Amino acid sequence: MRLLIIGFGFIGKELVKALRDKMRLLREIDRDFMVVGAVDSKGYVFDAGGLDVDGLSAVNRLSEHQGYRAGGSASELINEDLCDIIVEATPTNIKDGEPGLTHVRLALSRGIHVVTPNKGPLVLAFRELTSIAERNSCDLLYEGTVAGAIPIFSLARECLRGDKIIRLSGILNGTTNYILSRMLFEETSYDIALKEAQEKGIAERDPSYDVDGVDAACKVVILANALMKRNAKIGDVERVGIRGVTQEAMSLAKKANYAIKLIGTIDRRLEVAPKLVPINHPLCVHGTLNAIHIETDLAGEITLVGYGAGKETVSAVLNDLITVLKRRSKQKH
Amino acid sequence: MKFDLTLALADKPGQLLRALEPIAKSGGNIISIIHERDKPAEGYVPVSLVVDFPSRQNFRDAINSLKNLGVAIIRSEEVVEKVRLTFILIGGVDLRRIIESRVEGMRIIGFEASTPKLNEVSVRMDIEVQADMVGEVVEELRKISKEQNAILISPI
Repeated sequence: MRLLIIGFGFIGKELVKALRDKMRLLREIDRDFMVVGAVDSKGYVFDAGGLDVDGLSAVNRLSEHQGYRAGGSASELINEDLCDIIVEATPTNIKDGEPGLTHVRLALSRGIHVVTPNKGPLVLAFRELTSIAERNSCDLLYEGTVAGAIPIFSLARECLRGDKIIRLSGILNGTTNYILSRMLFEETSYDIALKEAQEKGIAERDPSYDVDGVDAACKVVILANALMKRNAKIGDVERVGIRGVTQEAMSLAKKANYAIKLIGTIDRRLEVAPKLVPINHPLCVHGTLNAIHIETDLAGEITLVGYGAGKETVSAVLNDLITVLKRRSKQKH
Repeated sequence: MKFDLTLALADKPGQLLRALEPIAKSGGNIISIIHERDKPAEGYVPVSLVVDFPSRQNFRDAINSLKNLGVAIIRSEEVVEKVRLTFILIGGVDLRRIIESRVEGMRIIGFEASTPKLNEVSVRMDIEVQADMVGEVVEELRKISKEQNAILISPI
């Protein structure tokens, strides 16, 4: 299977490193597996006979790579059917989903499998994309879009096939969890905790996407659509961020054995809001950790905890990639 | 739904069976029964029961049948399961508005406030409420906090 990597930012580069280290495993599953191309916002490198992944992992910018074609685009490679699977890892854009939405739509419509950690396309066009994938008998896997390395979609798909998920709640944003954890343990104010997170590179200079709950709301939409068969849009999520959470409120909570956490909930309503979580509840995890708690009709309650962002996300992307390789190599025999 | 029932039975053989029959016939499932034979008063023995009925109507049917048989009912009431919930409100909160809210059976059982600055109050409230009224309490507090432009932090 021929892989095209679209996006050569943090995740794209970390993925190349993981592919380099795990190539033997991948070739055991599919002996024809190769990386044929990598694309960034200004051009691409492509070799129909397979790129040298060692060489690719050594460059910081794609343009430093031999044979870089400036001005070339991902769409052009997809249109010519020069790959069988893409990893779409361009930056998330929840306004119009671009450029990811075009890449995903185009690939699926040509029967090319898609693995993506990019939330934008799934938040905006979940039903459309899943139905194109179904129509063209190809895979669309997106484990990395929600809670990074936590295998929630794989768990539901592989291990809870007969269960119905009734309710879901979770800490779906590591930045806000870091800020709230500092407020809980160090008794700092919101402003100081935010500043500290920004200095550590955990929060963006403009933190609104995280602290106003937009990022968590995007994940609620994907989870609701993927796991609970809803037809949710971002506007359906009632959203309150953490800007108004005071140190006084946090210490009142702490005295009563609670922590305040930004929780995404899928129930009768879709919601992202600060909530009181009992200190001994499995969802009560701290720092940049994420956690997802589901309630199903048969298994009862299950909680998953892990890192929601950073290079751990590559684990989810790689597992999705292997899932496609396994499914498709089975079909070959 | 469960009901507490205390009956006064005549201190004669067969009275308990006579009283239990209409309860069973009305769909009642007896969860516990205490026959206080050592406490007869004026020829009557108190019997305390906890009975699970499929509905309030079944409970009323049983009560009517017992009355028709001439069984004296000392006490009959629904067993209400109560839960405790903790909320935090941040902002200019008018507490009277919450206290006056008309959610049936809601009781504020604990309270703590912190006011670093005027108009920036953080309040923790522990509320006791009937288990089946939790949704209504949350809705009511949401409404109040929205009206008063306060942030409501409810339990997960």
